[in-house]
Amino acid sequence: MSNTALEVGALAKVFGGLAAVDGVSLKVAAGERRVLIGPNGAGKTTLFHCITGTLKPTSGQVTLFGRDVTRLAEYSRTALGMGRTFQITNVFPDLTLGENLALAIVGTDRRKWVLHRPMQAYADVRRQALESLERVGLAGRADQPAKLVSYGERRQLELALALNTRPKVLFLDEPCAGLSPAERQRISQMIGELPRDITLLMIEHDMDVALGLADRVTVLHQGRVILEGSPDEVRANAQVRDVYFGHA
Amino acid sequence: MDRGRAVLAAVALAAALALPSAAGPFWTGLVTQMYIFGLLALSVDLLLGHAGLFSLTHASFFAVSAYTVAILQVRYAVPTALAAPAGILAGTLLALLFGLAVRTRGVYFILITIAFGYVVWGVAHRWSSFTGGDNGVTNVPFPALGAAAITSHTQYYYLVLAAVIVCGLGYRVFMRSPFGLGLRGIKASESRMQSLGFRTSAHLYAAFVLSGALASFAGVLYVYYNKFVNPVAASFPVSVEAALMAIVGGTGTIIGPFLGAAVVLGLRNWVSSFFELHAAVMGAVFIATVLWAPQGLVGIAGRLRARFGKAKERTP
Ligand SMILES: Nc1ncnc2c1ncn2[C@@H]1O[C@H](COP(=O)(O)OP(=O)(O)O)[C@@H](O)[C@H]1O
Ligand SMILES: [Mg+2]
Repeated sequence: MSNTALEVGALAKVFGGLAAVDGVSLKVAAGERRVLIGPNGAGKTTLFHCITGTLKPTSGQVTLFGRDVTRLAEYSRTALGMGRTFQITNVFPDLTLGENLALAIVGTDRRKWVLHRPMQAYADVRRQALESLERVGLAGRADQPAKLVSYGERRQLELALALNTRPKVLFLDEPCAGLSPAERQRISQMIGELPRDITLLMIEHDMDVALGLADRVTVLHQGRVILEGSPDEVRANAQVRDVYFGHA
Repeated sequence: MDRGRAVLAAVALAAALALPSAAGPFWTGLVTQMYIFGLLALSVDLLLGHAGLFSLTHASFFAVSAYTVAILQVRYAVPTALAAPAGILAGTLLALLFGLAVRTRGVYFILITIAFGYVVWGVAHRWSSFTGGDNGVTNVPFPALGAAAITSHTQYYYLVLAAVIVCGLGYRVFMRSPFGLGLRGIKASESRMQSLGFRTSAHLYAAFVLSGALASFAGVLYVYYNKFVNPVAASFPVSVEAALMAIVGGTGTIIGPFLGAAVVLGLRNWVSSFFELHAAVMGAVFIATVLWAPQGLVGIAGRLRARFGKAKERTP
Protein backbone atom coordinates (compact mmCIF):
# COMPACT_ATOMS: atom_id res chain seq x y z
CA MET A 1 0.00 0.00 0.00
CA SER A 2 2.74 2.43 0.94
CA ASN A 3 4.29 2.29 -2.51
CA THR A 4 1.14 3.72 -4.02
CA ALA A 5 1.75 7.47 -4.30
CA LEU A 6 -1.62 8.51 -5.60
CA GLU A 7 -4.97 6.83 -5.81
CA VAL A 8 -8.00 8.37 -7.44
CA GLY A 9 -11.35 6.65 -6.91
CA ALA A 10 -14.39 7.12 -9.16
CA LEU A 11 -13.73 10.81 -9.50
CA ALA A 12 -16.32 12.94 -11.28
CA LYS A 13 -16.66 16.62 -12.01
CA VAL A 14 -19.84 17.99 -13.53
CA PHE A 15 -20.02 21.52 -14.97
CA GLY A 16 -23.67 22.42 -15.39
CA GLY A 17 -24.89 19.36 -17.24
CA LEU A 18 -21.52 18.35 -18.64
CA ALA A 19 -19.52 15.60 -16.95
CA ALA A 20 -16.00 16.86 -17.74
CA VAL A 21 -14.59 14.01 -15.64
CA ASP A 22 -16.86 11.00 -15.50
CA GLY A 23 -15.78 8.39 -12.96
CA VAL A 24 -12.01 8.22 -13.32
CA SER A 25 -10.00 5.80 -11.19
CA LEU A 26 -6.21 5.76 -11.20
CA LYS A 27 -3.45 4.21 -9.17
CA VAL A 28 0.05 5.60 -9.54
CA ALA A 29 3.00 3.91 -7.84
CA ALA A 30 5.64 5.92 -5.98
CA GLY A 31 8.37 6.96 -8.40
CA GLU A 32 6.27 6.14 -11.45
CA ARG A 33 6.04 8.46 -14.45
CA ARG A 34 2.53 8.50 -15.72
CA VAL A 35 1.50 10.38 -18.82
CA LEU A 36 -2.12 11.32 -19.53
CA ILE A 37 -3.13 11.73 -23.12
CA GLY A 38 -6.43 12.37 -24.81
CA PRO A 39 -8.01 14.78 -27.27
CA ASN A 40 -8.82 18.37 -26.37
CA GLY A 41 -11.72 18.57 -23.95
CA ALA A 42 -11.17 15.01 -22.69
CA GLY A 43 -11.10 16.30 -19.12
CA LYS A 44 -7.38 15.98 -18.42
CA THR A 45 -6.92 19.47 -16.97
CA THR A 46 -10.12 19.19 -14.95
CA LEU A 47 -8.90 15.87 -13.54
CA PHE A 48 -5.64 17.54 -12.45
CA HIS A 49 -7.57 20.42 -10.89
CA CYS A 50 -9.66 17.98 -8.84
CA ILE A 51 -6.64 15.95 -7.72
CA THR A 52 -4.60 18.97 -6.62
CA GLY A 53 -7.55 20.74 -5.02
CA THR A 54 -7.84 23.64 -7.44
CA LEU A 55 -11.43 22.47 -8.00
CA LYS A 56 -13.73 20.45 -5.76
CA PRO A 57 -14.82 17.22 -7.42
CA THR A 58 -18.53 16.48 -7.64
CA SER A 59 -17.84 12.98 -6.27
CA GLY A 60 -15.01 10.52 -5.74
CA GLN A 61 -11.87 10.32 -3.58
CA VAL A 62 -8.25 11.32 -3.81
CA THR A 63 -5.67 9.54 -1.68
CA LEU A 64 -2.06 10.67 -1.34
CA PHE A 65 0.38 8.14 0.14
CA GLY A 66 -2.52 6.36 1.81
CA ARG A 67 -4.06 9.52 3.22
CA ASP A 68 -7.48 10.72 2.12
CA VAL A 69 -7.01 14.30 0.95
CA THR A 70 -10.37 14.74 -0.80
CA ARG A 71 -11.57 17.35 1.67
CA LEU A 72 -8.28 19.16 2.08
CA ALA A 73 -7.70 22.61 0.63
CA GLU A 74 -5.19 23.05 -2.14
CA TYR A 75 -2.53 24.63 0.11
CA SER A 76 -2.72 21.64 2.47
CA ARG A 77 -2.22 19.24 -0.42
CA THR A 78 0.80 21.27 -1.48
CA ALA A 79 2.15 21.01 2.06
CA LEU A 80 1.66 17.22 1.88
CA GLY A 81 3.73 17.01 -1.29
CA MET A 82 1.64 17.81 -4.36
CA GLY A 83 3.20 20.27 -6.77
CA ARG A 84 1.87 21.43 -10.10
CA THR A 85 2.21 23.56 -13.18
CA PHE A 86 -0.68 25.08 -15.10
CA GLN A 87 -1.54 24.61 -18.76
CA ILE A 88 -2.16 28.35 -18.96
CA THR A 89 1.02 29.93 -17.60
CA ASN A 90 0.35 31.08 -14.05
CA VAL A 91 3.30 33.06 -12.69
CA PHE A 92 3.52 36.46 -10.96
CA PRO A 93 4.01 38.96 -13.81
CA ASP A 94 4.80 42.00 -11.64
CA LEU A 95 7.40 40.21 -9.54
CA THR A 96 10.95 39.45 -10.59
CA LEU A 97 11.92 35.89 -11.42
CA GLY A 98 13.85 35.78 -8.14
CA GLU A 99 10.79 36.93 -6.18
CA ASN A 100 8.62 34.41 -8.02
CA LEU A 101 10.89 31.62 -6.86
CA ALA A 102 11.29 33.03 -3.35
CA LEU A 103 7.52 32.71 -2.92
CA ALA A 104 7.62 29.11 -4.12
CA ILE A 105 10.44 28.36 -1.68
CA VAL A 106 8.84 29.85 1.45
CA GLY A 107 5.30 28.77 0.50
CA THR A 108 5.79 25.37 2.11
CA ASP A 109 7.53 26.56 5.26
CA ARG A 110 6.75 28.85 8.16
CA ARG A 111 8.85 31.73 6.90
CA LYS A 112 5.96 32.85 4.71
CA TRP A 113 4.47 34.44 7.86
CA VAL A 114 7.55 36.50 8.72
CA LEU A 115 7.01 40.24 8.45
CA HIS A 116 9.87 41.73 10.43
CA ARG A 117 12.72 40.65 8.15
CA PRO A 118 13.25 41.37 4.47
CA MET A 119 13.13 38.38 2.13
CA GLN A 120 16.64 39.28 1.03
CA ALA A 121 17.95 38.52 4.52
CA TYR A 122 17.41 34.83 3.80
CA ALA A 123 20.61 33.97 1.97
CA ASP A 124 19.56 30.34 1.51
CA VAL A 125 16.34 31.37 -0.26
CA ARG A 126 18.29 33.60 -2.64
CA ARG A 127 20.83 30.86 -3.29
CA GLN A 128 18.16 28.24 -3.93
CA ALA A 129 16.30 30.63 -6.25
CA LEU A 130 19.43 31.36 -8.28
CA GLU A 131 20.34 27.66 -8.51
CA SER A 132 16.85 26.82 -9.60
CA LEU A 133 16.79 29.54 -12.27
CA GLU A 134 20.08 28.26 -13.58
CA ARG A 135 18.79 24.70 -13.72
CA VAL A 136 15.80 25.69 -15.86
CA GLY A 137 17.97 27.81 -18.16
CA LEU A 138 17.20 31.25 -16.72
CA ALA A 139 20.60 32.04 -15.22
CA GLY A 140 21.27 35.75 -14.72
CA ARG A 141 17.60 36.71 -15.03
CA ALA A 142 16.72 36.81 -11.32
CA ASP A 143 16.09 40.56 -11.20
CA GLN A 144 13.90 40.80 -14.31
CA PRO A 145 10.14 41.12 -13.89
CA ALA A 146 8.37 38.00 -15.13
CA LYS A 147 6.19 40.05 -17.48
CA LEU A 148 9.25 41.11 -19.45
CA VAL A 149 10.60 37.64 -20.30
CA SER A 150 9.54 35.60 -23.31
CA TYR A 151 6.69 33.11 -23.31
CA GLY A 152 9.09 30.19 -23.43
CA GLU A 153 11.00 31.55 -20.46
CA ARG A 154 7.78 31.95 -18.50
CA ARG A 155 7.06 28.28 -19.15
CA GLN A 156 10.48 27.47 -17.71
CA LEU A 157 9.67 29.64 -14.70
CA GLU A 158 6.35 27.84 -14.35
CA LEU A 159 8.22 24.56 -14.02
CA ALA A 160 10.76 26.03 -11.60
CA LEU A 161 7.94 27.26 -9.34
CA ALA A 162 6.47 23.78 -9.08
CA LEU A 163 9.86 22.18 -8.40
CA ASN A 164 10.54 24.52 -5.48
CA THR A 165 7.53 23.46 -3.42
CA ARG A 166 9.44 20.24 -2.59
CA PRO A 167 6.90 18.02 -4.38
CA LYS A 168 6.71 14.29 -3.85
CA VAL A 169 4.11 14.03 -6.58
CA LEU A 170 4.43 16.47 -9.45
CA PHE A 171 1.64 17.33 -11.88
CA LEU A 172 2.67 18.91 -15.17
CA ASP A 173 -0.11 20.16 -17.42
CA GLU A 174 1.24 20.34 -20.97
CA PRO A 175 4.62 21.78 -19.97
CA CYS A 176 5.69 22.05 -23.61
CA ALA A 177 2.52 23.67 -24.97
CA GLY A 178 3.24 26.55 -27.32
CA LEU A 179 7.02 26.14 -27.26
CA SER A 180 9.41 26.04 -30.19
CA PRO A 181 10.93 22.63 -31.03
CA ALA A 182 14.22 23.63 -29.39
CA GLU A 183 12.55 24.82 -26.17
CA ARG A 184 10.35 21.74 -26.21
CA GLN A 185 13.35 19.51 -26.32
CA ARG A 186 15.10 21.35 -23.51
CA ILE A 187 12.05 21.13 -21.22
CA SER A 188 11.38 17.49 -21.92
CA GLN A 189 15.02 16.71 -21.28
CA MET A 190 14.79 18.58 -17.99
CA ILE A 191 11.71 16.60 -17.02
CA GLY A 192 13.49 13.39 -17.96
CA GLU A 193 16.34 14.31 -15.63
CA LEU A 194 14.13 14.86 -12.59
CA PRO A 195 15.06 12.62 -9.66
CA ARG A 196 13.23 9.30 -9.80
CA ASP A 197 11.89 9.68 -6.27
CA ILE A 198 9.47 12.32 -7.56
CA THR A 199 6.31 10.68 -8.79
CA LEU A 200 5.30 12.35 -12.03
CA LEU A 201 1.94 12.82 -13.69
CA MET A 202 2.08 14.68 -16.95
CA ILE A 203 -0.45 15.73 -19.54
CA GLU A 204 1.20 15.83 -22.93
CA HIS A 205 -0.06 16.26 -26.46
CA ASP A 206 3.15 15.42 -28.25
CA MET A 207 3.09 11.62 -28.65
CA ASP A 208 6.85 11.32 -29.01
CA VAL A 209 7.52 13.27 -25.84
CA ALA A 210 4.75 11.47 -24.01
CA LEU A 211 5.71 7.94 -24.96
CA GLY A 212 9.41 8.70 -24.48
CA LEU A 213 9.01 9.78 -20.87
CA ALA A 214 6.23 7.57 -19.64
CA ASP A 215 6.46 4.39 -17.61
CA ARG A 216 2.75 4.01 -18.11
CA VAL A 217 0.16 5.89 -20.11
CA THR A 218 -3.49 6.62 -19.35
CA VAL A 219 -5.75 7.59 -22.21
CA LEU A 220 -8.74 9.79 -21.44
CA HIS A 221 -11.68 10.36 -23.71
CA GLN A 222 -14.87 12.21 -22.87
CA GLY A 223 -14.07 12.21 -19.18
CA ARG A 224 -13.34 8.48 -18.98
CA VAL A 225 -10.27 6.26 -19.00
CA ILE A 226 -10.42 4.26 -22.18
CA LEU A 227 -7.05 2.61 -21.85
CA GLU A 228 -4.14 2.26 -19.49
CA GLY A 229 -0.91 0.50 -20.35
CA SER A 230 2.74 0.67 -21.28
CA PRO A 231 3.77 3.08 -24.04
CA ASP A 232 4.07 0.17 -26.45
CA GLU A 233 0.59 -1.11 -25.69
CA VAL A 234 -0.83 2.37 -26.20
CA ARG A 235 1.02 2.85 -29.45
CA ALA A 236 -0.30 -0.46 -30.74
CA ASN A 237 -3.89 0.11 -29.70
CA ALA A 238 -6.22 0.75 -32.60
CA GLN A 239 -8.92 2.45 -30.52
CA VAL A 240 -6.43 5.01 -29.24
CA ARG A 241 -5.22 5.76 -32.71
CA ASP A 242 -8.77 6.25 -33.77
CA VAL A 243 -9.84 8.48 -30.84
CA TYR A 244 -6.66 10.37 -30.27
CA PHE A 245 -5.21 10.95 -33.69
CA GLY A 246 -8.68 11.27 -35.13
CA HIS A 247 -9.28 14.43 -33.08
CA ALA A 248 -5.83 15.85 -32.56
CA MET B 1 19.02 53.15 -0.90
CA ASP B 2 20.98 55.02 -3.60
CA ARG B 3 22.74 58.33 -3.09
CA GLY B 4 20.10 60.54 -4.71
CA ARG B 5 17.39 59.07 -2.55
CA ALA B 6 19.43 59.45 0.62
CA VAL B 7 20.01 63.13 -0.19
CA LEU B 8 16.31 63.59 -0.93
CA ALA B 9 15.35 61.94 2.36
CA ALA B 10 17.82 64.14 4.28
CA VAL B 11 16.45 67.30 2.66
CA ALA B 12 12.87 66.24 3.35
CA LEU B 13 13.71 65.51 6.98
CA ALA B 14 15.47 68.87 7.41
CA ALA B 15 12.47 70.65 5.88
CA ALA B 16 10.08 68.75 8.13
CA LEU B 17 12.12 69.64 11.21
CA ALA B 18 12.37 73.30 10.25
CA LEU B 19 8.72 73.70 9.28
CA PRO B 20 7.18 74.92 12.58
CA SER B 21 9.69 77.73 13.07
CA ALA B 22 9.90 78.59 9.37
CA ALA B 23 6.24 78.49 8.37
CA GLY B 24 4.16 79.21 11.46
CA PRO B 25 1.14 77.58 13.07
CA PHE B 26 -1.19 77.41 10.06
CA TRP B 27 1.18 75.32 7.98
CA THR B 28 2.29 73.29 10.99
CA GLY B 29 -1.32 72.33 11.60
CA LEU B 30 -1.97 71.48 7.97
CA VAL B 31 1.16 69.34 7.72
CA THR B 32 0.31 67.57 10.99
CA GLN B 33 -3.00 66.61 9.41
CA MET B 34 -1.19 65.52 6.28
CA TYR B 35 0.95 63.14 8.35
CA ILE B 36 -2.05 61.75 10.20
CA PHE B 37 -4.24 61.26 7.14
CA GLY B 38 -1.21 60.06 5.17
CA LEU B 39 -0.86 57.31 7.77
CA LEU B 40 -4.54 56.44 7.38
CA ALA B 41 -4.07 56.38 3.59
CA LEU B 42 -1.01 54.17 4.06
CA SER B 43 -3.10 51.70 6.05
CA VAL B 44 -5.67 51.62 3.24
CA ASP B 45 -2.89 51.13 0.73
CA LEU B 46 -1.48 48.19 2.66
CA LEU B 47 -4.50 46.33 1.30
CA LEU B 48 -5.06 48.24 -1.93
CA GLY B 49 -1.52 48.60 -3.21
CA HIS B 50 -0.14 45.26 -2.06
CA ALA B 51 -2.99 42.79 -1.81
CA GLY B 52 -5.35 44.40 -4.33
CA LEU B 53 -8.23 44.71 -1.83
CA PHE B 54 -10.17 47.98 -1.99
CA SER B 55 -11.46 48.70 1.53
CA LEU B 56 -13.95 51.47 2.15
CA THR B 57 -14.30 50.93 5.87
CA HIS B 58 -11.03 52.25 7.23
CA ALA B 59 -12.69 55.30 8.76
CA SER B 60 -14.30 52.76 11.13
CA PHE B 61 -11.02 51.71 12.76
CA PHE B 62 -9.79 55.29 12.73
CA ALA B 63 -12.94 56.54 14.47
CA VAL B 64 -13.43 53.67 16.92
CA SER B 65 -9.89 54.20 18.09
CA ALA B 66 -10.37 57.98 18.31
CA TYR B 67 -13.65 57.59 20.25
CA THR B 68 -12.09 55.08 22.62
CA VAL B 69 -9.23 57.43 23.45
CA ALA B 70 -11.54 60.44 23.78
CA ILE B 71 -14.06 58.70 26.03
CA LEU B 72 -11.38 57.18 28.26
CA GLN B 73 -9.44 60.41 28.58
CA VAL B 74 -12.33 62.82 28.94
CA ARG B 75 -14.97 60.85 30.77
CA TYR B 76 -12.84 58.52 32.87
CA ALA B 77 -9.62 60.55 33.16
CA VAL B 78 -7.60 57.54 32.01
CA PRO B 79 -3.97 58.53 31.33
CA THR B 80 -2.54 58.51 27.80
CA ALA B 81 -0.32 55.53 28.57
CA LEU B 82 -3.47 53.41 28.84
CA ALA B 83 -5.93 55.32 26.67
CA ALA B 84 -3.77 55.33 23.52
CA PRO B 85 -3.06 51.56 23.54
CA ALA B 86 -6.73 50.97 24.36
CA GLY B 87 -7.67 52.97 21.27
CA ILE B 88 -5.43 50.87 19.05
CA LEU B 89 -6.74 47.71 20.68
CA ALA B 90 -10.38 48.69 20.14
CA GLY B 91 -9.81 49.52 16.47
CA THR B 92 -7.85 46.32 15.95
CA LEU B 93 -10.55 44.20 17.58
CA LEU B 94 -13.04 45.70 15.17
CA ALA B 95 -10.65 44.83 12.32
CA LEU B 96 -10.60 41.23 13.58
CA LEU B 97 -14.36 41.20 13.02
CA PHE B 98 -14.53 43.20 9.78
CA GLY B 99 -11.61 41.19 8.41
CA LEU B 100 -14.10 38.42 7.68
CA ALA B 101 -14.84 40.47 4.56
CA VAL B 102 -11.76 38.81 2.98
CA ARG B 103 -13.98 35.82 2.27
CA THR B 104 -15.20 37.92 -0.65
CA ARG B 105 -13.29 39.54 -3.48
CA GLY B 106 -13.63 42.40 -5.92
CA VAL B 107 -16.82 44.39 -5.93
CA TYR B 108 -18.40 42.27 -3.16
CA PHE B 109 -15.52 43.13 -0.88
CA ILE B 110 -16.00 46.82 -1.62
CA LEU B 111 -19.75 46.64 -0.99
CA ILE B 112 -19.37 44.76 2.28
CA THR B 113 -16.80 47.21 3.58
CA ILE B 114 -19.08 50.12 2.67
CA ALA B 115 -21.88 48.48 4.65
CA PHE B 116 -19.58 47.92 7.65
CA GLY B 117 -18.57 51.57 7.51
CA TYR B 118 -22.17 52.72 7.61
CA VAL B 119 -22.90 50.52 10.62
CA VAL B 120 -20.09 52.17 12.60
CA TRP B 121 -21.12 55.64 11.49
CA GLY B 122 -24.73 54.85 12.44
CA VAL B 123 -23.70 53.72 15.92
CA ALA B 124 -21.58 56.84 16.46
CA HIS B 125 -24.43 59.00 15.27
CA ARG B 126 -27.35 57.31 17.04
CA TRP B 127 -26.00 55.93 20.29
CA SER B 128 -25.74 59.44 21.66
CA SER B 129 -25.79 58.50 25.37
CA PHE B 130 -22.41 56.87 24.84
CA THR B 131 -20.87 58.64 21.85
CA GLY B 132 -22.27 62.12 22.41
CA GLY B 133 -24.26 61.95 19.16
CA ASP B 134 -23.54 64.64 16.61
CA ASN B 135 -21.53 66.68 19.09
CA GLY B 136 -19.25 63.76 19.78
CA VAL B 137 -16.69 63.91 22.56
CA THR B 138 -14.92 67.20 23.11
CA ASN B 139 -12.12 68.63 25.24
CA VAL B 140 -9.61 65.86 24.61
CA PRO B 141 -6.31 66.95 26.20
CA PHE B 142 -2.86 66.72 24.63
CA PRO B 143 -1.17 63.40 25.35
CA ALA B 144 0.94 63.13 28.47
CA LEU B 145 3.25 60.40 29.71
CA GLY B 146 3.69 60.90 33.44
CA ALA B 147 5.48 64.20 33.88
CA ALA B 148 6.32 64.44 30.17
CA ALA B 149 3.38 66.21 28.58
CA ILE B 150 2.78 67.76 25.19
CA THR B 151 1.73 71.37 25.70
CA SER B 152 1.62 72.91 22.23
CA HIS B 153 0.72 72.10 18.65
CA THR B 154 4.35 72.54 17.70
CA GLN B 155 5.44 69.87 20.17
CA TYR B 156 2.65 67.65 18.97
CA TYR B 157 3.81 68.16 15.39
CA TYR B 158 7.19 66.68 16.30
CA LEU B 159 5.59 63.76 18.09
CA VAL B 160 3.50 62.95 15.02
CA LEU B 161 6.52 63.36 12.75
CA ALA B 162 8.46 60.86 14.86
CA ALA B 163 5.53 58.44 14.79
CA VAL B 164 5.25 58.72 11.01
CA ILE B 165 8.96 58.08 10.54
CA VAL B 166 8.86 55.00 12.77
CA CYS B 167 5.78 53.70 10.94
CA GLY B 168 7.36 54.39 7.55
CA LEU B 169 10.52 52.50 8.45
CA GLY B 170 8.54 49.60 9.85
CA TYR B 171 6.33 49.56 6.78
CA ARG B 172 9.41 49.44 4.58
CA VAL B 173 10.60 46.25 6.28
CA PHE B 174 7.09 44.83 6.08
CA MET B 175 6.85 45.54 2.32
CA ARG B 176 10.00 43.54 1.67
CA SER B 177 9.27 40.72 4.08
CA PRO B 178 8.11 37.28 2.95
CA PHE B 179 4.64 38.18 4.23
CA GLY B 180 4.56 41.44 2.24
CA LEU B 181 5.85 39.71 -0.88
CA GLY B 182 3.14 37.12 -0.35
CA LEU B 183 0.51 39.85 -0.54
CA ARG B 184 1.88 41.01 -3.87
CA GLY B 185 1.81 37.41 -5.02
CA ILE B 186 -1.86 37.14 -4.09
CA LYS B 187 -2.61 40.34 -5.98
CA ALA B 188 -0.88 38.96 -9.06
CA SER B 189 -2.29 35.41 -8.93
CA GLU B 190 -4.17 34.03 -5.99
CA SER B 191 -4.60 30.62 -7.60
CA ARG B 192 -0.85 30.23 -8.05
CA MET B 193 -0.25 31.26 -4.46
CA GLN B 194 -2.59 28.52 -3.27
CA SER B 195 -0.83 25.93 -5.34
CA LEU B 196 2.48 27.09 -3.83
CA GLY B 197 1.14 26.30 -0.36
CA PHE B 198 -0.16 29.69 0.78
CA ARG B 199 -3.41 29.82 2.69
CA THR B 200 -4.38 33.01 0.92
CA SER B 201 -7.51 33.84 2.93
CA ALA B 202 -5.54 33.67 6.18
CA HIS B 203 -2.82 35.78 4.62
CA LEU B 204 -5.32 38.44 3.55
CA TYR B 205 -7.07 38.32 6.90
CA ALA B 206 -3.78 38.94 8.73
CA ALA B 207 -3.06 41.83 6.37
CA PHE B 208 -6.51 43.26 6.99
CA VAL B 209 -6.04 43.20 10.76
CA LEU B 210 -2.59 44.74 10.47
CA SER B 211 -3.99 47.44 8.23
CA GLY B 212 -6.80 48.06 10.72
CA ALA B 213 -4.26 48.41 13.51
CA LEU B 214 -2.37 51.04 11.52
CA ALA B 215 -5.61 52.94 10.81
CA SER B 216 -6.37 52.77 14.54
CA PHE B 217 -2.99 54.27 15.33
CA ALA B 218 -3.76 57.12 12.93
CA GLY B 219 -7.04 57.55 14.85
CA VAL B 220 -5.14 58.00 18.11
CA LEU B 221 -2.89 60.65 16.56
CA TYR B 222 -5.97 62.33 15.09
CA VAL B 223 -7.97 62.68 18.28
CA TYR B 224 -5.11 64.21 20.25
CA TYR B 225 -4.58 66.70 17.43
CA ASN B 226 -8.20 67.50 16.81
CA LYS B 227 -9.24 67.66 20.48
CA PHE B 228 -12.63 66.22 19.67
CA VAL B 229 -14.19 63.42 17.67
CA ASN B 230 -17.66 63.24 16.18
CA PRO B 231 -19.43 60.91 13.71
CA VAL B 232 -17.80 62.68 10.76
CA ALA B 233 -14.58 60.78 11.58
CA ALA B 234 -16.43 57.50 10.98
CA SER B 235 -18.21 58.65 7.85
CA PHE B 236 -17.99 57.19 4.37
CA PRO B 237 -16.26 60.26 2.85
CA VAL B 238 -13.30 59.76 5.21
CA SER B 239 -12.84 56.20 3.94
CA VAL B 240 -13.17 57.38 0.36
CA GLU B 241 -10.70 60.21 0.85
CA ALA B 242 -8.14 57.89 2.41
CA ALA B 243 -8.33 55.63 -0.65
CA LEU B 244 -8.24 58.71 -2.89
CA MET B 245 -5.05 59.89 -1.19
CA ALA B 246 -3.36 56.54 -1.79
CA ILE B 247 -4.41 56.49 -5.44
CA VAL B 248 -3.54 60.11 -6.19
CA GLY B 249 -0.15 59.76 -4.51
CA GLY B 250 0.66 56.35 -5.93
CA THR B 251 -0.36 52.92 -4.61
CA GLY B 252 2.13 50.32 -3.50
CA THR B 253 4.61 52.90 -2.23
CA ILE B 254 5.26 54.48 1.18
CA ILE B 255 5.61 58.11 0.17
CA GLY B 256 2.62 58.04 -2.20
CA PRO B 257 -0.16 58.09 0.40
CA PHE B 258 1.50 61.04 2.16
CA LEU B 259 1.86 62.98 -1.10
CA GLY B 260 -1.76 62.16 -1.85
CA ALA B 261 -2.77 63.40 1.60
CA ALA B 262 -0.91 66.65 0.92
CA VAL B 263 -2.73 67.11 -2.39
CA VAL B 264 -6.17 66.26 -1.06
CA LEU B 265 -5.91 68.27 2.17
CA GLY B 266 -4.16 71.16 0.44
CA LEU B 267 -6.74 71.33 -2.33
CA ARG B 268 -9.61 71.09 0.10
CA ASN B 269 -8.20 73.89 2.20
CA TRP B 270 -7.54 76.12 -0.75
CA VAL B 271 -10.59 75.35 -2.89
CA SER B 272 -13.11 75.47 -0.06
CA SER B 273 -12.06 79.04 0.70
CA PHE B 274 -13.70 80.22 -2.52
CA PHE B 275 -15.74 77.30 -3.88
CA GLU B 276 -18.44 75.41 -2.02
CA LEU B 277 -18.41 72.28 -4.11
CA HIS B 278 -14.93 71.23 -3.16
CA ALA B 279 -16.05 67.61 -3.22
CA ALA B 280 -16.60 67.99 -6.96
CA VAL B 281 -13.02 69.18 -7.34
CA MET B 282 -11.82 66.08 -5.47
CA GLY B 283 -13.89 63.96 -7.83
CA ALA B 284 -12.28 65.64 -10.81
CA VAL B 285 -8.80 65.08 -9.38
CA PHE B 286 -9.62 61.44 -8.86
CA ILE B 287 -10.91 60.97 -12.40
CA ALA B 288 -7.89 62.75 -13.85
CA THR B 289 -5.58 60.48 -11.84
CA VAL B 290 -7.28 57.31 -12.96
CA LEU B 291 -7.31 58.44 -16.61
CA TRP B 292 -3.90 60.04 -17.00
CA ALA B 293 -1.73 59.01 -14.08
CA PRO B 294 -2.82 55.61 -12.80
CA GLN B 295 0.47 55.29 -10.90
CA GLY B 296 -0.24 58.59 -9.12
CA LEU B 297 2.27 61.31 -8.34
CA VAL B 298 5.00 58.79 -7.66
CA GLY B 299 4.46 57.39 -11.16
CA ILE B 300 4.64 60.86 -12.69
CA ALA B 301 7.88 61.54 -10.82
CA GLY B 302 9.29 58.25 -12.10
CA ARG B 303 8.38 59.10 -15.69
CA LEU B 304 9.90 62.57 -15.40
CA ARG B 305 13.07 61.12 -13.96
CA ALA B 306 13.29 58.58 -16.76
CA ARG B 307 12.90 61.32 -19.37
CA PHE B 308 15.26 63.71 -17.61
CA GLY B 309 17.82 60.93 -17.06
CA LYS B 310 17.73 60.04 -20.76
CA ALA B 311 18.13 63.68 -21.78
CA LYS B 312 21.17 63.92 -19.55
CA GLU B 313 22.69 60.84 -21.13
CA ARG B 314 22.26 62.28 -24.60
CA THR B 315 24.04 65.54 -23.86
CA PRO B 316 27.79 64.89 -24.02
N1 LIG C 1 -14.70 25.98 -15.47
C1 LIG C 1 -15.40 25.30 -16.40
N2 LIG C 1 -16.71 25.53 -16.57
C2 LIG C 1 -17.42 24.86 -17.47
N3 LIG C 1 -16.90 23.93 -18.29
C3 LIG C 1 -15.59 23.65 -18.19
C4 LIG C 1 -14.78 24.33 -17.24
N4 LIG C 1 -13.50 23.86 -17.36
C5 LIG C 1 -13.54 22.92 -18.33
N5 LIG C 1 -14.78 22.81 -18.84
C6 LIG C 1 -15.19 21.86 -19.88
O1 LIG C 1 -14.84 20.58 -19.44
C7 LIG C 1 -14.35 19.80 -20.51
C8 LIG C 1 -12.97 19.29 -20.19
O2 LIG C 1 -12.05 20.38 -20.22
P1 LIG C 1 -10.52 20.18 -19.86
O3 LIG C 1 -10.41 19.47 -18.57
O4 LIG C 1 -9.89 21.50 -19.95
O5 LIG C 1 -10.01 19.23 -21.02
P2 LIG C 1 -8.52 18.93 -21.52
O6 LIG C 1 -7.55 19.46 -20.54
O7 LIG C 1 -8.48 17.44 -21.63
O8 LIG C 1 -8.38 19.57 -22.87
C9 LIG C 1 -14.39 20.68 -21.76
O9 LIG C 1 -15.58 20.40 -22.45
C10 LIG C 1 -14.45 22.07 -21.19
O10 LIG C 1 -15.13 22.94 -22.03
MG1 LIG D 1 -6.07 20.87 -20.73
